[in-house]
Amino acid sequence: MACLLPLRMLQAQFMLIPMDESQRNHLKAYGVTFLALKNAQKAEWLLNYRGGAFLLPDAADLKRRATLEGVTTEPLNDAAVAKIRAEIAGGNMDAVVLERAPKIAIYRPMNQPPWDDAVTLALQYAGIDFTSVWDDDVLKGDLPKYDWVHLHHEDFTGQFNKLYLAYRDAPWFVAQRDRDLATARRFDKPDVPALKKAVAEGIRKFVDNGGFLFAMCGATESLDLAVAAFNVDIAGPFADGNPPQSDADSKMQWSRALAFTGAHVEPSPYVNALSDIDGHQVNVQSRRQPLGSFSLFDFSAKLDPVATMLVQNHRTVIPDYFGVTTSFNKAVLKPGVTVLAAEEGAPWVKYLHGDFGKGSWTFLGGHDPEDAQHAIGSNPTDLSLHPNSPGYRLILNNVLFPAAKKKPRKT
Amino acid sequence: MGVVIRRMCVQVTVAAGVALGVFPGATDGRVWAQQVRPVVPDTTDPLARAMSAEDRHDVKAAAAAYRQVLARALSPAVNDGDQASMALLGLERVWTEAGLQDSIMPVVERVLLVRRGDPIARGIQLRAYLTGGKDEAARVAFNEWRRAVPTEAAPYREYARQLLSSGRAKSADTILTEAARFLGSARDLSGEVAQLNVSLQRWVPAAIAFKTALAEQPWLEHSAIYALQRVPVPVRDSVRTVMAGAPVTLGARRLLSELEMAWGEPRRAWAALAPVKSDDSTTAAWRMFAEQAEAFGAWLIARDAWTAVMEKSGDLSSVQRAANAAIQGNDAAGALVLIARGSSNRTGAAVTRALLPVEVAALSELGRPADAQKRIEDNKQFLDDGLRADLLKPLVGAWLRAGNLEQARVAAANADLSDDDETAGWLALYSGDLVTARKRLVRVDARRGSQIEALAVLSRTKALSSPELGAAFLTVARRDTSLAVTQFVTLAGTILEAAPALIATAARLEEARQQPAASARALVLWKRVRAEYPKSPEAPEAVLSWAQLLSRSGDIKGAIEQMEALLVDYSDSALAPQARRELLTWRGKLPPGGV
Repeated sequence: MACLLPLRMLQAQFMLIPMDESQRNHLKAYGVTFLALKNAQKAEWLLNYRGGAFLLPDAADLKRRATLEGVTTEPLNDAAVAKIRAEIAGGNMDAVVLERAPKIAIYRPMNQPPWDDAVTLALQYAGIDFTSVWDDDVLKGDLPKYDWVHLHHEDFTGQFNKLYLAYRDAPWFVAQRDRDLATARRFDKPDVPALKKAVAEGIRKFVDNGGFLFAMCGATESLDLAVAAFNVDIAGPFADGNPPQSDADSKMQWSRALAFTGAHVEPSPYVNALSDIDGHQVNVQSRRQPLGSFSLFDFSAKLDPVATMLVQNHRTVIPDYFGVTTSFNKAVLKPGVTVLAAEEGAPWVKYLHGDFGKGSWTFLGGHDPEDAQHAIGSNPTDLSLHPNSPGYRLILNNVLFPAAKKKPRKT
Repeated sequence: MGVVIRRMCVQVTVAAGVALGVFPGATDGRVWAQQVRPVVPDTTDPLARAMSAEDRHDVKAAAAAYRQVLARALSPAVNDGDQASMALLGLERVWTEAGLQDSIMPVVERVLLVRRGDPIARGIQLRAYLTGGKDEAARVAFNEWRRAVPTEAAPYREYARQLLSSGRAKSADTILTEAARFLGSARDLSGEVAQLNVSLQRWVPAAIAFKTALAEQPWLEHSAIYALQRVPVPVRDSVRTVMAGAPVTLGARRLLSELEMAWGEPRRAWAALAPVKSDDSTTAAWRMFAEQAEAFGAWLIARDAWTAVMEKSGDLSSVQRAANAAIQGNDAAGALVLIARGSSNRTGAAVTRALLPVEVAALSELGRPADAQKRIEDNKQFLDDGLRADLLKPLVGAWLRAGNLEQARVAAANADLSDDDETAGWLALYSGDLVTARKRLVRVDARRGSQIEALAVLSRTKALSSPELGAAFLTVARRDTSLAVTQFVTLAGTILEAAPALIATAARLEEARQQPAASARALVLWKRVRAEYPKSPEAPEAVLSWAQLLSRSGDIKGAIEQMEALLVDYSDSALAPQARRELLTWRGKLPPGGV
C-alpha cells in the first residue's frame, strides 16, 4: 500500500517543535522559530497545542540549528499536519501564522549597570537578534524603526530607583548619574527627571502609533508614573534639587498612562518605593510582602489569540520572583487592562496586557524569573542551566507575538 | 521582624563590647545572650520584665521597663554601664518595632550627658541619624564623640562601619582617612579599611588592609576569604603578590591558600602555605589543608602537605596518609621514599602495622612482587592473620602487573582469592579467557578506569577466548603504553566486531600520555574511528575527543566545526549536552559565574 502512495506524502514536509514537557530546550526553540521568520520561511504558532508548539517547514538550516541547540523536533508529513489541524479545530486551540521576524530594540545603557536584564539574557541565549537603544535614540525619534521595544529596570521618574540613599558613592551610581546629566544637557533638559520624562513620552508615543512595548521590573511602574506626572514634580530633591509637589497625587494625569490609575506617589526620598503600584515593595523592609507563585490564566485561543499567545507555557503555575516592581496592585489597574497572570488570593497581579492607541503593551513584574532575589552585583543568570524556564518563556512569547499576522480581536 | 532586629542589636552590642572591653570574655553573641537571659523570667527584675514584655511584643510595657532599668543604671549610686547599654539597645529595638525610631534620641542624649563616650549610646545615635537620612546631624554627633575620646579608634570604626553597611563607601573612606590623620595610623581600623576597599572593588588595597588586619584580628579571616574570593581573574596575581610578600605570616598565607582553593588552584594553594615557618599552629594548618586537598581529590598536593606534616610531627598517621596520597596520585615510587623517610630508625609492631600495607600497595602498583613478598616475610613476626590476608591481595596485583601470571595464580590460591571477582576476572582476562573475565569483572564494585576500559571492549565481542587481547591488557597493566597501543590497533584487524572499541582504547591510551606527539597519534586514531566506523558507539566520543584535541592545540574554529558535526550527526548521543556546553565556552557565551 505504502509503495502506491506518492513519495511526497510519506516524506516529512514540516517540523513540529513541541513546547510541552517533551521539549528539551524551550528557550532555544524560540530562536529556531525566529530564524525561520528571519529566513522568510513560513511559521505557525499552534496555540494551546502541546504547550504552544511551533510548526515550521522541514528546512535543512532550521533542522541543523535545532539539532545544534538541542531543540526537540518532530518530522511531520502532510497527513500528520492535517490531523493536527483537525484536532486544533475541535478544541480551545488555534494556529496563528507568524509573518516576519520583528525588529526588536532593547532600551538599555551601553555601559551596563551592576545588574542584568532578563530580556537581554533571554534573547542572547535564544539567539534572537536585537538592537540596543538608549535615551539619545528615543529622543532623536528612532523608535518607529522597531516593531518591539523592551524596557527593563529603568526609572523613568528620573530618581535612579531611589538608590541614592544607599549607593550615592558607588562608582557605578556616580557614573550613571553623570551619564544621565550629560544627556540631559545635550537635549536642553534641566535635570534627569526632565530627561527621563521626555524619554517616557517618546516611548508612549511609540505605542500610541502602533508599536509593541514589553516592560518588566521597575520600568513598568516608573513609565506610567512618568507619563502621568507629565506636568507634576514627583522627583525627590536628590534628583532635581526640589522636593516633590505636596499635592502631586491630585495632579497626576492618569488618562495619559498605559496601565495604572489613581496610584499614590511615594514622596519620601528615604522610602525606597516610587508608589503603591507594586504589591510586594521589596526594598521597603516594613512593607515587603513574601513571594508566592502566580498562575497563568486561560484564554480562548480562537477569540483572544493575543492574550493566548502571551501565556503559552508548559507550566501554568510559576514561582514568583522579586524585582524593583514585583507585582501590580489590583486597586490601581485601569479598567480594560487584561490580567494574564496573578497570585491566587493576593491583592496583586503579575502579568498585564492592554492596548493603547494603535499599539499594545505588556507588563511583567519582577526582575529575573530564575533568580527570585536577584541583587545588585549578582552574577547574570546562566540560562544554559535553565533551558526549560517557564518564566523566561513569558518574555520570549512577547518577542514572537508581534510577528503574528494580525487578526481582528473578537472580544 | 522584631526578632531579627533584636538579634542584630545584640550582635552590635557584642561587637562593640568586645572591641571596647565592655564585656570582657564575651566572644560570641549567642553565648552572651544566653548568659543574660534567665530561663525563667524574674518578674521582680526590671530587665527580665522588659525582655519578657519584648518577647510578647508588648512594646509599651517593654519600653517602660527598659526605661526603669536605664534610670537605675545611670543613678550615681549604681552607675552600671552594662545595664545602661542593654536598656538602651532594648529601647532601640522596641521603638523600632513600633515605628517610633525617633523616640530613642532624647534618651540617648540624656545618657550622653553623664557618659559622654558611651560607645553604645553613640552608636545608636549615629544609626538613628543615618537611617533617618540626617547626614549632617550624624556628622556632628560623630565629631562630638571623637572629641569625647580623642585617642580612641572607636568613633571612626563605628561611623565607618555604619556608612559602609548603608553602601556609602566614599563617605566611609573620608572617615577612615581622617582616622589615619588624627590617630596617627589607621592600623586599628584596617578591618574597616579592607571592607571599604572591597565595597569600592579596590582589590589590591583591600588585600593589603586585610593582611594588616589579620595580624591583630585573626577572626577576620573568614570575612577576608568571603570578600576576596570575588577578586576578578586579572587582578588575582596582584592580590597574590600582596599576600605572599614579606613578612610571611601564617594568617596571610592561610588566607591566600584558602583563596587559591576557592579559585580552583590547589597547587598554588599549597605553595602559599608551605613556606610558613614551621610551628604547632602551622602544622595544624598544614594538616587541615592536606585533608581539604584529599577531599578535593588533589592527591599529589595532599601528598606534599602530609609530607610537610610528617617532617614536622613525625607521627605515623601522617606518614601513612602521605604515602597513601602518593599512591592515589599515581606516585607509588614517591610513596616508597616517604615510607622509608618516615620509618627511619623506627621498628616494631606499631610501625609495621601502620606502614607495611601502604608499602606493599606501592610495590604492587609498581609491579615489584618480589620486593613486596620479601617485606611481608621480613615482618611476619608483627603480622596477625587478618593483616597478612589483607596484604595478599596487593601481592597478587603485584604479580599480575609484573606480568607473571603463574606467580599471581599461586599467590591468589594461597590467599584463597578464588572468590575475589577482581583477581579472578583479571587473571582470566590476561589469560585470554574472555568468558570468565566478562562474568567476573562485571561484578566488581570498584570501578577503576582500567576495569571500565576492559568491560567496554569485552562487551563488544562474543569471542570466547583471545590470548592476544589478554596480552594487550596485560601490556597496559605493565604500563608499556606504546606496545599496548600497537597491540590494540593490530587486534582491530582480527576482532572485527570490536574494532572501533579497540581503536578507541588505543586512542585513549595515547591521549592519557599528555604529550604532543601522543596527542597527534590519538587524533589519527579518533579520525579513523569516525571515518571507518561512523555508526559505532565510539563514533560520538571520537568526534568529541577530536574537537577537544583541536581546542587544546588552539584551533578553536576547527574544534567548533567538529563539535557541531557531533551535534548534527549524533544528536541523541549522551555526549550532546557536554558538547553544547563546550561550544558555549569556546564561543565565550557563558556568563561570568556560570558553572
